[in-house]
Amino acid sequence: MIHERHDAMPAPKPQVTRRRFLQTGAALAAVPILGSTRSALGQTAPKVTKVLDFSTGADVAKAEQEGEVVYYGHDGEAAIAVLLDAFRKDFPKIKTSYVRLQTGALYAKITAERSANRYLVDVLQLSDISPAIDFQKKGGYEMYLSPEYAAYKPAYLSSPAGAFAWVGVTFAGISYNRGKVKPEQAPKTWKDILNPAFKDGISAKLATSGMQHAQWYMLRKLYGNDFWQEFAKQRPRGFDARAQLFDRLAKGDDRICALAEYAGYTLFKEKGADIEFVAPPDGLPATPAIIGAVNRAPHPEAAKLFIDWAMSNRGQAVYQNQPILLYGSLRNDAPPMATGKKLADFKLLFPTDWADFQASHAVFVKEWNGIMGL
Amino acid sequence: MERFTRARSWRPGPSLVSLVVGGASAVLVFYPIVYLVQASLSVGDPQARPPEAYGLANYAGLGRYAHIFWNTVLVAVIATVFAIILGFAMGWILSRANVPGREALEQLMALPYYVTPLMGALAWSLIGSPSGGFLNQVWRALGGDGHLIDITSPYGIAWVMALFEGSVAFVMIGAVMKSMDPALEEASQVLGAGRFRTMLKITLPLVMPGVLGATIFVFAEMLGSFSAALVLGLPNRFYVVTTAMYQLVSQYPPRFPQAAAMGVALFAVMFVMVYIYRRIISRGTYVTITGKAFRPRAMDVGRLRWILFGVCLGYLGIAVVLPVLTLLYASVQRLATAFPRAANFTLANYVTALSLDAVRSALWNSLLLGGATAVLGVVLMGFLSWIIYRSRLPGAGFIEYVLMFPQAVPRLVFAFGMLWAWLVFPIPIYGTLWLLLIAYLTVFMPLGIRTISGVMLQIDRTLEESAQMCGASWGYRLRTVTMPLLRPGLIAAALLLFIASVRELGASILLMGPKAKVITPAIVEAWFSTSTELTAAMALLQTLAVALALAFLFAVARRALRPVGE
Amino acid sequence: MTVSASPPTGRAAPIEVRDLVVRYGTVTAVRGVSFSVAAGEHLTLLGPSGCGKTTTLRAIAGLEKPTAGEIRIDGAVMYDAASRTQVPPERRGLSMVFQSYAIWPHMTVFDNVAYGLRVRRETASDIAQRVGWALDLVQMGELAGRSASKLSGGQQQRVALARAFVFSPSVLLFDEPLSNLDAKLRAEMRVELKELQRQLGITSVYVTHDLEEALAISDRIIVMRDGIIEQVGTPAQIYDLPRNAFVADFVGSANLIRGRRRPELDHGGFVVIETPGGALIHGVAHGRSAGSEAVFSARTVHLQLSRERPAAAHNVWPARVRSRVFQGDFTQYHLDWDGRRLVLRCVTSEPVAEGTDCFLSVDPRHCVLLEE
Repeated sequence: MIHERHDAMPAPKPQVTRRRFLQTGAALAAVPILGSTRSALGQTAPKVTKVLDFSTGADVAKAEQEGEVVYYGHDGEAAIAVLLDAFRKDFPKIKTSYVRLQTGALYAKITAERSANRYLVDVLQLSDISPAIDFQKKGGYEMYLSPEYAAYKPAYLSSPAGAFAWVGVTFAGISYNRGKVKPEQAPKTWKDILNPAFKDGISAKLATSGMQHAQWYMLRKLYGNDFWQEFAKQRPRGFDARAQLFDRLAKGDDRICALAEYAGYTLFKEKGADIEFVAPPDGLPATPAIIGAVNRAPHPEAAKLFIDWAMSNRGQAVYQNQPILLYGSLRNDAPPMATGKKLADFKLLFPTDWADFQASHAVFVKEWNGIMGL
Repeated sequence: MERFTRARSWRPGPSLVSLVVGGASAVLVFYPIVYLVQASLSVGDPQARPPEAYGLANYAGLGRYAHIFWNTVLVAVIATVFAIILGFAMGWILSRANVPGREALEQLMALPYYVTPLMGALAWSLIGSPSGGFLNQVWRALGGDGHLIDITSPYGIAWVMALFEGSVAFVMIGAVMKSMDPALEEASQVLGAGRFRTMLKITLPLVMPGVLGATIFVFAEMLGSFSAALVLGLPNRFYVVTTAMYQLVSQYPPRFPQAAAMGVALFAVMFVMVYIYRRIISRGTYVTITGKAFRPRAMDVGRLRWILFGVCLGYLGIAVVLPVLTLLYASVQRLATAFPRAANFTLANYVTALSLDAVRSALWNSLLLGGATAVLGVVLMGFLSWIIYRSRLPGAGFIEYVLMFPQAVPRLVFAFGMLWAWLVFPIPIYGTLWLLLIAYLTVFMPLGIRTISGVMLQIDRTLEESAQMCGASWGYRLRTVTMPLLRPGLIAAALLLFIASVRELGASILLMGPKAKVITPAIVEAWFSTSTELTAAMALLQTLAVALALAFLFAVARRALRPVGE
Repeated sequence: MTVSASPPTGRAAPIEVRDLVVRYGTVTAVRGVSFSVAAGEHLTLLGPSGCGKTTTLRAIAGLEKPTAGEIRIDGAVMYDAASRTQVPPERRGLSMVFQSYAIWPHMTVFDNVAYGLRVRRETASDIAQRVGWALDLVQMGELAGRSASKLSGGQQQRVALARAFVFSPSVLLFDEPLSNLDAKLRAEMRVELKELQRQLGITSVYVTHDLEEALAISDRIIVMRDGIIEQVGTPAQIYDLPRNAFVADFVGSANLIRGRRRPELDHGGFVVIETPGGALIHGVAHGRSAGSEAVFSARTVHLQLSRERPAAAHNVWPARVRSRVFQGDFTQYHLDWDGRRLVLRCVTSEPVAEGTDCFLSVDPRHCVLLEE
């Protein structure tokens, strides 16, 4: 029986106090400030109402009056479309619009906008916890305690709670094209991706990806800092999204995908691709999808409503069951994923020290860019 | 009739107009460049704006990216060679040989420009990927080994660049060929030299300066190419300066200073190229250009003409028909392959594409923006062309230099400077279509002014002078004489600006916002984050919509061209 | 030409050009030209291409910016280098007919002609009346509604003319207006132009390289070469009394004969030179002085050829016919005389065969001493 690793995960511990926060705000005063200087703590508790089948702290009538929610996310375009379509079905009076970029690019964009006093975003979803912590430090998130948070362990929320939450989990193993890889050569452990036989035929994601950051960090911890330097000799190819990775894998343009997200594998297998998924015994690096309402949003009530919806059973069903999303839900009462498996069926690897993980981001970007030929 | 005026000293009018126009142009064009250079000199915290400290460290650090600069030059050189060969061959065939259907073929030569480099890159990616490309699949099915072509190699990328971005070579060389007095060749033939010898000894040397100018111009354009390298190069770890810049600013933390330094380096090279080009054309060529366009009598090449006809059709086939068919073929499959099973066919991609709000709103935005660029651009550029070439206002040379300046800046680099600059501009246009409009009008200024001034200069100056002698002020002249005569040229320029605006990727990919999505970057995003099949469907939908819009515009334009009088 | 009720014409203005210099970069097209045109006079600037006549005209029009000098029209300063005055063309009250006619193809004939009036904001009825008058004057009345792009060269020329004078300008400028017409039409239009100008009485400055045209229609002619004025005078003066070799040969064809002065043989107002071959020529000096060497100009049409020796006292010599060129209205003979060639033109009558010996004579009054 595989350990329920994900229960034992520590919570991220950013050092945010009221004082420190205000100091940071003052220091940034020379430059247009990223977020509000109002104290993030000590907000009045929102009034909780029930709408459809979930609880919300937002003023639904006001949200519908606002009439729109702007979503910045990292999933593929089609995936975001499915998500927002589901929201619109439940709340037809609220229009949706979005920007899709991989996490690194997305965060770069939102910080650039805010540093120029453009506040365009209501809801932000990232695939890496590092920029989320950073954003929280800068006061970018609206401190909003969603009533739906009650259904989650505190480890899956921000600290202090109210900035962001884990709306789902994705994890990755190895995948290969059965037509291109002989059975005796098929990879079984992580070390197999270093096999020189796979040189020039192996793919992964670019440095903008949160999932990639997680894998880099975890395998480094497991196998040492040289692991990825060895991997660089494979001359891997980097891409922006798992759709591309699996597209190429299915067509045989790549033989092996070193960062094969289970959700992507499932989707393409169903399309008829001749690919195989490998879950190495040492574990599968995992990363949460982080969602939060943004401070100084153009449609604050709609933002809160969206968060409540996304974290509720209703929203989680979309995240978990839609084949193009296929996240694992972390709700206490979550049903199994569409494939029948639960998160507990996999050995998931998470960082133990989130601060260390966050601090490693700059190192990761530099090294990974070099590995990818930039 | 009373006499008009007493003698007066210089009126402030003309100088003031020049000053205002020159000043506004200079701001529009140089503002982003200034910010670009400022960003490149920032050596402190990359996130601080304005920069904390200045220094040359970023330039010193460019050595790291030497392989990227090498890639850029390599690909640009190969693409230029391809483009010039193609352009010269087509230009010669269509202006010198009596190929059947010459006039029609000449019009059709503009089609690759409408296919857009992005579509071309997508299609050729489907055709020529080493493993999954259709052509290579066929090759293997026929018993071949490995792959026949690798479109992701530098040669492949250069090939796609030449096909879809090199059509300007054909236009320029064709123009040079047309301006050559056919009597020069006829004299050679009368004296006994054969066709081939004539081409080698007479035609080639005479058009050489024009061809040289075209080569330099095309090379400068290729340096700034983005689409082909993005679609084909990125998956193969092959970066050029433009794609590297794009990557650097799309990460967190974004590396603006390094990207800016790369951009300035590229810009410097292009600047030198464009400078050389202008020196060549201003010195004048020794081809007689009398202002009359010759309609040279075509040489009779005998049976060869059918072969040459086939060559022209072949070119059009490869550049237009093949990409469209390939995309069509891929868009109706679930998982695109050269030999699909029956179950593989589906229309789901189109259903999804049409339902994607991104597609609908992006398409609408693109058409809207294209229309605005075309209409505003034509009015603005018509007015500016007149100021530069006809008004004899002081400082016209300066204004021309300023407005032609964006030619020397790769469009992505320019957009980068704009992004950096307009992020802090007080007027809140960042993230809106207005910013894109301003960007497009600025980067397409050289294109529009070149087109319109070409027509303008063909209008005999005396037509305006006679209006002057009848007493018309310059505003009255502009309205009653210049503009109406320019109408055909203005319409051609409007259509050109429309399509240039819709196909633009480098400038728009950096400046888009949530409410300001346009279709070409949206297709790129789709290619990165969804399947190839869905992307193919989106690309074809875009082509269809644009084709319809163009047809509509053209019909409207024909009506506006009705002759006056009886 | 029918003369309908003609609206009052404008007051013709005199023109004064002083020390005009026009430079383009390193090339000086006009190098210090001074002349004046009286009100109502028709002055022609005549010369080979590149002599600066068109540049001078355009400077008067205001279409070229001179480098130095002064231009006044009706006493008002239009250009003055000293005070840096340059009045733009549209405010000078002039009008111009261009070599290419410059008819606007996107307007009708009526609109073309009415343009100048519309600029001056005349009322619609006034415009209609004046345009009708102008078109009638050039015999284009029936074609008022036709699109200008559908006119022949001659028709365009007339429209250009009508357009130029319809608003009664004080000065009319012509830039080789007939040079694009065929010879026959040119000859006809010449006559019409002359009559029109006389009728309207507008000051005219006319540029042409065609000698016949200049002689036919001008009150005065200015012959120009290389940016300077060679001679000013009436057509008769220019023709009969050319100042130098250039004018002599440009204005009609002339033989230039150089010789040593023999002042001791002068008599009764005539002067004598001796050619290197020893022939003595008597001619007129017209107040011009000559040094020890002098040149006579003798027009080819003034030389006479005869088989028998004529009875004149002076200027009779033997000559031999070297070649004969039939030119229709006249025949041109090339003669061997005095060790050189002479050209002679005469009305075609009985041809003299080549190689014939004959006598050459010329009236002394038709041998003109040239200024050196």
